Parts: sequence; C-alpha cells; structure tokens
Amino acid sequence: MDIKKFSFKNLFLSRISRKLTLLFLIVGLIAPSLAIFYFYTISVSTLPESIPAEQSILLRTVAVVIILLIAVDAGIIGYLVSRSISKPLKELYRATKEVEKGNYNVRLDIHTGDEIEELSQAFNRTTEALAKIEEERREIDNAKTEFLSITSHELRSPMTPMKAQLQMLQEGYFGKLSKKQRESLAIVIRNADRLDNIIVDFLEISRIEAARLKFNFRKTDIAQTVEETVKLMEASAKEKNIKLVVHLDKLPVIEADPDRVSQVLRNLIHNAIKFSDENSKIEVSAELKDDHILFSVRDYGCGLTPENQIRIFEPFYQVESASRRRHGGTGLGLAICRGIVESQKGKIWVESKLGKGSKFYFTLPLKPVRNIEPIKILFSQKGLIEKKIKEEFKTMLGPLGVGEFNELKNKNALNKNDLFEYIEYLTNEHILQPENEIVFKNRINKIFGEKKEVINEKKDTFNRFINEEGLKRD
Amino acid sequence: MQKTILVVDDEEDIRESVKMILEVNGYRVIEAVDGDDCLRKVREEKPDLILLDIMMPGTPVSEVVKQIKDIKIAFMSVVRISDARKKGLCAQDNIVDFFQKPFSVSDLIERIELILRE
Repeated sequence: MDIKKFSFKNLFLSRISRKLTLLFLIVGLIAPSLAIFYFYTISVSTLPESIPAEQSILLRTVAVVIILLIAVDAGIIGYLVSRSISKPLKELYRATKEVEKGNYNVRLDIHTGDEIEELSQAFNRTTEALAKIEEERREIDNAKTEFLSITSHELRSPMTPMKAQLQMLQEGYFGKLSKKQRESLAIVIRNADRLDNIIVDFLEISRIEAARLKFNFRKTDIAQTVEETVKLMEASAKEKNIKLVVHLDKLPVIEADPDRVSQVLRNLIHNAIKFSDENSKIEVSAELKDDHILFSVRDYGCGLTPENQIRIFEPFYQVESASRRRHGGTGLGLAICRGIVESQKGKIWVESKLGKGSKFYFTLPLKPVRNIEPIKILFSQKGLIEKKIKEEFKTMLGPLGVGEFNELKNKNALNKNDLFEYIEYLTNEHILQPENEIVFKNRINKIFGEKKEVINEKKDTFNRFINEEGLKRD
Repeated sequence: MQKTILVVDDEEDIRESVKMILEVNGYRVIEAVDGDDCLRKVREEKPDLILLDIMMPGTPVSEVVKQIKDIKIAFMSVVRISDARKKGLCAQDNIVDFFQKPFSVSDLIERIELILRE
C-alpha cells in the first residue's frame, strides 16, 4: 500500500484553480500584449514626427486599456475554466470522504461533459452497489433476529401443558408414584425447566438485539429496589450460609425500570452465591455518582482468570470449575445483563483476582434513555473484532503487521489494554511515529466501540513513516 | 358451595390440563375456546372466576374484558404482566390476578383459593 504524504487537499485542489487561472492569465496576456506593444512601437516609429501630444497619449491609453481588458477577460475565463475542473474534483473528494465514514448514500451531480463527469458516474454506480450490499446485510441481520424471536415464542407454547402435566404427575394427581417413577420424573421436570430457561433467555436476547426490550420507566426508589432484591436472594444465600451485606448511599428517586435493575442485580448475586464458598459474605452496594448510579456486587469466592474476566459476558460462556454442580444455567445470564445495561447506555464490567474474589460493577444513568438502541449480543463479537484489529495492523504497519498481529493473538493479547501497551512499545522503540500512536489508538478504540481521544481533526489521517527495519528485529 | 371456574384458552392441551387441576381440587369447570365463546358462555351461566388467556384469535381480549365487569377475571398468559399493564389490560377493578405461563400448579391452586375465599 502506497500512501504518499497526504496533503492532497491542501496542495492540489485549492491551488489547481490558482495555477490554471494564473496560466490563463499569463497566456491570455502575453500574445495580445506583445501585439499591442508591437503595434504601438510600429505606429509611433512610422508616424510622422508631428503627431500631436494628445494623440500619442490617447494611443498609449488605448493600448493600456486594451491590455487591461484582455487581462481581465483572460483572468475571468481562466478562472471559470479551472473551476470547471477543480470544483468537480473537490466534490469527488468530499463524496469519497463521506463513503469512508460509511455513508453510501452519496451521489455526485456533475455535468461537465468530460472525463470527470464519467468518473463521477462510475463513482455513483459504485456507491449504489455498496448501499445495496449494506441494505442486504441489514435485512439478513433483521431476519436472524426475527427468526430467533418467532421460534422462541413458538417453543414456549408447548411448555405450559407439558410442565403442568409433569407437576400434576409429581404431586400425585394421577396416583402414587414408585421411587423409580419419582426419580425419573424429577429428571424430566428438571430438564423441562432448563429448556424453558434457555428459551426465555433466547427471547430476551432477541428482544435486546432488536431493541424491542421493553422498559417500564417509572418513579423508582432505587434504595428500596436494591433492598427488596437482596431480600429475595436471601433464601438461596442461606443455603450456603452466606451473608448478604448491603451498603447504600443516599439515593434519589429516579425514572428507571426497577424490574430490570432487579433482574441484573439478581443475576449478579446469583452468580456470586454460586462461586462463593460456604460461610462467606457478599457485599451489594449502590453509590450516587454525578450522572449515574454505580452498583456493585462483591464476592470473596474463587475469582476469575484474566481470560474469564473478558469472556464471561459472552453468550453461553460458562466458567469451568471442578466443583461445578448441575446448576442448569444457560450461560446467557451475564450476556443478558450486558444487553439490559448497555441498552440503557450504562456499562457493566468486572474486577477480579484469582483466589480472592470478584467485584461486578454496573452503572445506571440518572436520566433514562428514551431511544433504546439494538445491542448485538449473539451475532457478532470476537471473530469480527479480531478481523478488524488485523486490518488495522495491516494498515498501520504494512505487511509486517500481519506477523505482529499473529504473535499477539497467540499470546492472547488482543484485548484493548494489551494492544495499547504494544502500541506504546512500538512508539518507544521509534518504530511508530508519535503522531501515529494516537491515530492507531483511536482506531483501536473505535473497534472496541469507544469514543476517541480528541485530537487535531486534520491530523486524523496519518503519515506512514515507520521504520521497517525496526520491525524486523526478531 | 362448589365454585365454578370458566377456563378460556385457544389451546386444547392447556384447557385440558387446567381443567384437570381445578377439578381435582374440587372446582367445577366450564371451557371456552376464545373471546367470543367466553362471552357466550358467560351469558348462559355466570361463573365465580374466569381464567382468561390473552393471545387468542377472534375478538381481542381487551374488548371482551370491557364487556365483563361483574365477574372476577384472572389472566393466564405467556405475555408478561408488565406488557399487559402497558396495553391497559389490567385497568378494570374485576381483574384480580395474573398467572404467567408456564405456571406452577401448586401456585395456581393457592392463589385461586385466595381469590375465591372472599
């Protein structure tokens, strides 16, 4: 890839008008000026000496006026002609910038009757094709979400009579059961419940993906919601003799959906109980920050490895542990929590130390978000992100970037912090230019879906001056 | 005195199951297959409680409910109660409870007993 010093805009376009105009001006001036000068000299030298003074002044004035007129006309024509080239080029450049941003609905309207017009038509055909592909991709995405939603609904219907009959069997409605019958029934019921839970979770996820997540915003006393939720979980905490401790700031009454807040808290507390030892404690807290409320659930259990810390929010990902009983979990709980929290423009994350415990945090904005956006949970993620990171490496580091990317991937160092460390290392070794460090980091930030550090807008395009020798070190 | 419950659901298996559960627990059960059938049955005989599904073909349940103001109604549906409230289904005074499907058998009986005790 050969990107020259990218001052195309400044160097070329704004000066092409000036250059061409100047050219026309000069050309336009020289010939007639020479002609007039020649005419003037000839007429002065061939005319009799007795030319009255006014006539010679008049001649001179006329000559000068004609030259000036020609200059002005040449200038105007020159400017107009050069504009007919530079203006469409500028439009083309602006349109290309839009496409770069991902907006494929740009169309050029150029009618200069020359090759530039043909170029603009080719450009329009290209963006049309891109827009069509984008639309198809969106349709496929929607179809996937619809499919998920429909099948989930259809799958739920048979659950009702099935579970009702199983319960009736179990409760002796149809007569006493033998021990073997009771055991068999217990297995069936347990798995029917598991199936039902999976279907419910799938429905939730399909709603989150389609932004059809229903929020019921109303005046909520957050402190009360937290206390009620903790009370609900006390029974299962008692089974392992775990103490639930609550720390609450003075919390305001805000517009929120208490059922959803409770849902996330319940899930986090449920996980905390699952991974805590007997006779330990779990701390639930809610603090008031400037524009949001920060909730946390802390356990003193086995903690999470760095890899697990990243992956537990993935759908279906469950931590492997030797003492894991058949909890019937679907592995979707945290993914759904993430969907709920992020739909409301909050954040959810975990801090953990292996062997010491984990602390899960999530935030709730004080002002509820009215426009619920779809959040992709199931149908994108790790693979897509890795591909994007690989592309960035190729862009910023050239062909050697692929090798570097693969090295990092093998060391499982593709999370944001490791990538930043690596970029800083490259900068310190003078392999990467300092201005490119920020650009690289911003692009990585974009991949992970975060806001950029504000830098000089003009310098957002980069200068690729890297020391390739430095990269070939190993 | 034996209480009568009208079970309204478009799915036969659910009607059958709920009927079994209620009859074993001493209730008398009438069935209806949708909103219109429910209104017909109510004209013939006034039950003590109507267990009403929400998603059924025919006249929408919101219309049906408007025409029954003097009999206790409990919804029984896959629709979540928060969504039902949003649709304005729970506004009337005679709407006494909401059973989320799939329901728990013992829970159903307990709550119905409470409803019919008054």
